[in-house]
Amino acid sequence: MKLYCLSGHPTLPCNVLKFKSTTIMLDCGLDTTSVLNFLPLPLVHSPRLSKLPSWVSKDGTINLEKELKECAGRVFVDSQPEFCLPERELLDLSTIDVILISNYHCMMALPYITEHTGFTGTVYATEPTLQIGRLLMEELVNFMERVPKAQSATCWKNKEIQRMLPGPLKDAVDVWTWKRSYSMQEVNSALSKVQLVGYSQKVELFGAVQVSPLSSGYSLGSSNWIIQSHHEKVAYVSGSSLLTTHPQPMDQSSLKNSDVLILTGLTQMPTANPDGMLGEFCSNLAMTIRAGGNVLVPCYSSGVIYDLLECLYQFIESANLGTTPFYFISPVANSSLEFSQIFAEWLCHNKQSKVYLPEPPFPHAELIQTNKLKHYPSIHGDFSSEFRQPCVVFTGHPSLRFGDVVHFMELWGKSSLNTIIFTEPDFSYLDALAPYQPLAMKCVYCPIDTRLNFHQVSKLLKEVQPLHVVCPEQYTQPPLTQSHRSDLMLELQPPPMPYRRCSVLNLPFRRRYERVYILPELANSLVPSEIKPGVSMATVSAVLHSKDNKHTLQSVPKPPPAPPSKKRKRVMEEPPVVLAPKPLLSGAVPLEAFLVTLQKAEDTLIQLEEDGTHIVCDNNEPLRTTLRDLVLRFLQKL
Amino acid sequence: MDRECVLLLPSVCEVLADSGRSVPDDTSLEKLLDWFTGLTEAGGSLLEACPCLLKFISTVVHNTASDPGVLSFTLRLTGLMAATEDGFKMLQEQSVLNQVFDLQHWQEAGLWDDPCLRIGWIQGLRSMLQHPKALSFFVQSDFIASLLQLQTDTSLFVASAANHMLAHILLFFQKVSSAGSNGINNKEEDERRIHHSVTDLESPAVTMETSEEYSAVVKGISEYLKESLIPKENTKLHQSLQILKLLALLLAQAGPPLRDKLLQTVTDSLEELVTAGCSQLTLPLMDVVLAANSSCGPDGRVPDQRVTRLLSSMLTISRPADLIHAAAALLSRGHHDTVHTARAVRILLLPLDIITGLTLLGTNTAADEHQVSVVEQLKSKTSCISMTCVCLTNTPQITLTPSGVLPCPPVLIVTAVVSLLRISSGISSSSFAGCSEVCRNVIGSGKVQKCALDALTALNSSPGAKEKISEVFTILIQYLNNPDSDPTVLHKSYQAFIKWIGVCTDLSLITDQLRQDLVEVVKKRACDMRWEVRDSTVEFLGHLAGVHVSVTSGEDLCDASEALLGGCCATPLLKEALQDTESYVRASAISALAKTLTHSWQQGAALTQDQTEIVSRLLEILSQDTEGFPRRAVVQYFISWFLSHSSLSPPSSSTPSTSFLMQCVRTVLSQGSADLDWEVKVHTLELAELLLDQAFSAHRGYRKGSDAHRALQHPYGVVSDQAYTLHTHPGTHTEGVQSELAHVVELGVFSALLSGLVDCDRPVGLKACRLLIILRETICPLSLGALDVTAAMATVSCELLGRGWGKEITKILGMESDRASEVDISAQRSFSGADGRGDSVTVSVCEVLRSLDLDERLDVLTQSSDHIHNSPLSLLQDILTASAAHTHPDTKPGHEVIVDCY
Repeated sequence: MKLYCLSGHPTLPCNVLKFKSTTIMLDCGLDTTSVLNFLPLPLVHSPRLSKLPSWVSKDGTINLEKELKECAGRVFVDSQPEFCLPERELLDLSTIDVILISNYHCMMALPYITEHTGFTGTVYATEPTLQIGRLLMEELVNFMERVPKAQSATCWKNKEIQRMLPGPLKDAVDVWTWKRSYSMQEVNSALSKVQLVGYSQKVELFGAVQVSPLSSGYSLGSSNWIIQSHHEKVAYVSGSSLLTTHPQPMDQSSLKNSDVLILTGLTQMPTANPDGMLGEFCSNLAMTIRAGGNVLVPCYSSGVIYDLLECLYQFIESANLGTTPFYFISPVANSSLEFSQIFAEWLCHNKQSKVYLPEPPFPHAELIQTNKLKHYPSIHGDFSSEFRQPCVVFTGHPSLRFGDVVHFMELWGKSSLNTIIFTEPDFSYLDALAPYQPLAMKCVYCPIDTRLNFHQVSKLLKEVQPLHVVCPEQYTQPPLTQSHRSDLMLELQPPPMPYRRCSVLNLPFRRRYERVYILPELANSLVPSEIKPGVSMATVSAVLHSKDNKHTLQSVPKPPPAPPSKKRKRVMEEPPVVLAPKPLLSGAVPLEAFLVTLQKAEDTLIQLEEDGTHIVCDNNEPLRTTLRDLVLRFLQKL
Repeated sequence: MDRECVLLLPSVCEVLADSGRSVPDDTSLEKLLDWFTGLTEAGGSLLEACPCLLKFISTVVHNTASDPGVLSFTLRLTGLMAATEDGFKMLQEQSVLNQVFDLQHWQEAGLWDDPCLRIGWIQGLRSMLQHPKALSFFVQSDFIASLLQLQTDTSLFVASAANHMLAHILLFFQKVSSAGSNGINNKEEDERRIHHSVTDLESPAVTMETSEEYSAVVKGISEYLKESLIPKENTKLHQSLQILKLLALLLAQAGPPLRDKLLQTVTDSLEELVTAGCSQLTLPLMDVVLAANSSCGPDGRVPDQRVTRLLSSMLTISRPADLIHAAAALLSRGHHDTVHTARAVRILLLPLDIITGLTLLGTNTAADEHQVSVVEQLKSKTSCISMTCVCLTNTPQITLTPSGVLPCPPVLIVTAVVSLLRISSGISSSSFAGCSEVCRNVIGSGKVQKCALDALTALNSSPGAKEKISEVFTILIQYLNNPDSDPTVLHKSYQAFIKWIGVCTDLSLITDQLRQDLVEVVKKRACDMRWEVRDSTVEFLGHLAGVHVSVTSGEDLCDASEALLGGCCATPLLKEALQDTESYVRASAISALAKTLTHSWQQGAALTQDQTEIVSRLLEILSQDTEGFPRRAVVQYFISWFLSHSSLSPPSSSTPSTSFLMQCVRTVLSQGSADLDWEVKVHTLELAELLLDQAFSAHRGYRKGSDAHRALQHPYGVVSDQAYTLHTHPGTHTEGVQSELAHVVELGVFSALLSGLVDCDRPVGLKACRLLIILRETICPLSLGALDVTAAMATVSCELLGRGWGKEITKILGMESDRASEVDISAQRSFSGADGRGDSVTVSVCEVLRSLDLDERLDVLTQSSDHIHNSPLSLLQDILTASAAHTHPDTKPGHEVIVDCY
């Protein structure tokens, strides 16, 4: 069993598991942090951005006037933003049989894999994952295609040139593999390969293994996966949460007794407790509004935003913010808000029960009804006529490089009354803000990451008791910036097996069994004899039939009836020369001793060949000599 | 004794003695006993007063079917009656005592299994053991063995009572033995006599006979102590524990002969126990050892070497958790012996030293051989947190120890606590030297954070603290800013901040950055989601305004809120908080506003637009808020405004702010006295009192309300203990007083008092009544010399409305009959919603005051509301009634329950 690691990002994993005869891709996350190296894509012409000076190296030898611009001491690529894809050279991706998706954040690289690698398999995901994943992809495509950029910068990627560049650009890895966004057509084609599954539904893969998704509690329809054969069990844990937010709670018990547990998607903010951050979010929001400023919340169009809106729903009354308008701007805002209300079966019990009242499970429906929350596909159109300040705006993209948020940054960045509150943990807020410097706007960083933290995960592992744990190497040491926090790492016995991008791990398994079926008629013919209470034995002669990784023992076909012989009488005259079948073994087996040796199950090998016989028996010389003598005796008898 | 009670008592005794009849509830027996105890203490003889009791006792004792509760009561009653020698003699003559305390009798009757009876037996004996005769009886009956057995009784109450009883015997009669002992010089004996005359006033006369008996008791008990102190097996821990408790009790109070005798007997066993190191016994053992050590102190005698050694070995026991508790006990019991205190301090500081990596104990830690085991212990999360908390709780005490004892300068301890706070909040530090395996146990632990903040708060006055001010404020602001701090942690951080600001004589120590951070964090916390946090923040703003500091050394004082927050921050935040959805926050905001504005009121500054807005908002709250707390706070706000204002200017001066204040006061009086909450009404009356004080304090014969009834304060009454300093003005002309009265009436003070008088809440009525009496004595005293005044006063009148309290007052004044028809009409009118103003009566203030019969009303109001139901007579009647109800043939079962649950 092997694990190929195609992504180094611990929360946006992409791993391939070769198990029995199947090749399974676990998630295909898209590392979007690469876009931070690019200039923002403004929705309306921005004089500031267009006037940025080109970057010229100190000695003046390198001048990529069209490609690199300088802003507030940092260099940015002036081009359509590009993403860092999962590794494609490590193994032939066309051999992948299935892709299992755990949540909508971990599927954003899907079109790159399914459309350009010769992939012919199936993708499995839950319904909310597919639908919301589609929304997120649609939004991404929309953001990119709305502001097309003709040029595509490539010169800076030249290794010689890249080496000379300053700052983060110099250290960016695999820049040649970076790709522009996919198209809507590719998205549709990729998603057409998705087959929907429900929690705990068992899907057979070629009869060899069975996969089944379990609720992971992180987002709508998010799942962990169990991949098992009859005798082996692999658990794949991706973004999971024990917090009682909106999704169905995490199913922990089904993870028990796995041989290998692949652990990814822990919290990216181990020191930031989501509850504390939510409090911080609310108080900073209230503070800004009271002082007459606007609040900008760069966020994804699905996920934590539902919780934020719910929290605000309760908070705005107590903080006297009842009259402040809340705007949610995204090409998919409407669908996202409405989808969340219809996936009742994927919600936590609390919200599910509301559906029977009947009441919308999320309170944002009421916010919309009472006109406190308004949503628009973009800043163009209706929004501009109804826009009222001070207000709170939720919009994407959290990287601040594309989407409507770019416009608000340009609009509000100059006033210290306004505040930008970062809630998504995926991007460093300082890097995100870099191309907007100098900035007068107040910045508040309260990343809300509900995924498991180290404390919760060690408790979880103690309970589910996997034999081996595989995890990204980042989890095996304290964060770089807080090297003394030994509480922020995984400490297990035996220690977890770390992986990084491009690792290939041999997963350890101590023993292999295979299940073989016996056909009823064959089973019927067996005559078991009880050799010890509870243990019966029988000799079997059969034909082993293997198809689709399913092994069956069938009765030995009867030899075709001998063709009628012409000789008749003569037969009787000449008694057959054939001797009566000799029993191969005779005598009695000393039962107790035999069973003991059976149970001991020591690995002993007797190799019979034409010109020699070998008895291999590890570290047990007496046994070996006994066996040798026995074999010699039998050989002599024959 | 009340004659009626004496008459009732025989029938009550009959009821109690009859096992078929029951008493109303088990508290009635206790109450009865309390009553008897009171009678005995007053010096009466129960037997003489109620001879029926004797018969009662002998009846009950012989009836084994009696209720165990009644039996227990009887035993205790007998003990009470035998507490005097006369009583004892009489009871013995009737041979009652032997029967009552006959153990065998109770055991045979199978009643001894009831703990109720056992405790009655112990307490009865204990009450009796007040004189030598009783002791003789006790010894002769050989009760000591049984009592020792009861010391480990299964019932905790019985065991504890037995323990106290044993201590009582030894301590109460100890003078007996000292009289018999020899070889003590005169001076010491004198001292002892003085000592005893103070502690044992009731010590009985000593005879040689009792001395022997006492020695027997002492011998018996000490033998037992010696034998049973060491637990034979683990299950006997309870016994050792009980004995240790008894020993601690004895050693703390015993005189030298007894103490020496005890120590001589048990020291061996104590030594063995200390070596055994049983962790459950550590604390009680430490108590005993400390008691043994300190009891040697006052005589000026050096404690026995072995006793001192015991203490030393207590401080070297091997289990770190026990050791730290022992050290903490030593410190908190105030033991003064340099060597041991120094040792205890080192033990307590060691965990802090390990976690923070600061060398609190100096570099020579080789002496602390148990450091390794402490580190091991600290690696487990639960013991780490508990040990750290013990250390932290003791740090303030540690800094108070003499400098020779302390292994480091006190300021280093402040540094250690600050550094622990930093570690606990997970703030990274590159130059971190502590043990990281231990540190992670305290990261994020709310318990450690709270303890450390408490310690920090208490450390503000430790020597050298000033150097640390900036560091302390930095960490406190970090805590206030930390999103994960829970409300209690935030509250404690605010408290620590206030305390430390108090020691900060010079604000220049606080950098601009810190001030800016503070402003930001306070603004943020004022918008917190949790109301507790908003409340603490608002309170903090109020407290900050109350602290006076100088901006740079030598400059004038100003309030800390203005100096730190720049003045423009607090008031807007508090104004915002007046709109809070949580009533506690609104209430805190109102009091904080009062504190913030006090300074400007005292300076007599003109009211700003902002302040006027606040006042109108407050009046709105007083009339509309649905919760009591904010309304109470509003009245308090006007009280403090009035106080600050009147300390400044004479009441007659009419600046715009004075007339605005008076206008508000009028509204507050009328709305506050009509409030639904009794505390609001009481506060309103306090405001009325201030107005009376201001108007009449210069007038002869005026007693300030606050002086007059301070001694009479009722426990439920809410009377603020502020000392009022009012402006007094010379000249006491009748016209002056008259106009003052007219002014006061016009402000609505008199109406407020009258409405308070007829209020259904007693504290309100009481307060109003007292104030009215004072007013009456001031303006219309019943002396001849004051007639002229009275005559003049008669012209001042007030209006009584024909509804509500006005109607009540009219009724009391007896004007009802004259105006019956009119009142009827007015009642109808008010029913139909018409304004009842037209039916009001105008009456003279003096006339009202005289006719209200205030003194009688005060009498009624002063008595607590349950005084009628609490008298012995009613108790006896209750018992009789209950038993009658029970024996009544018609009574259905369960009736009692219905009666009980009104």
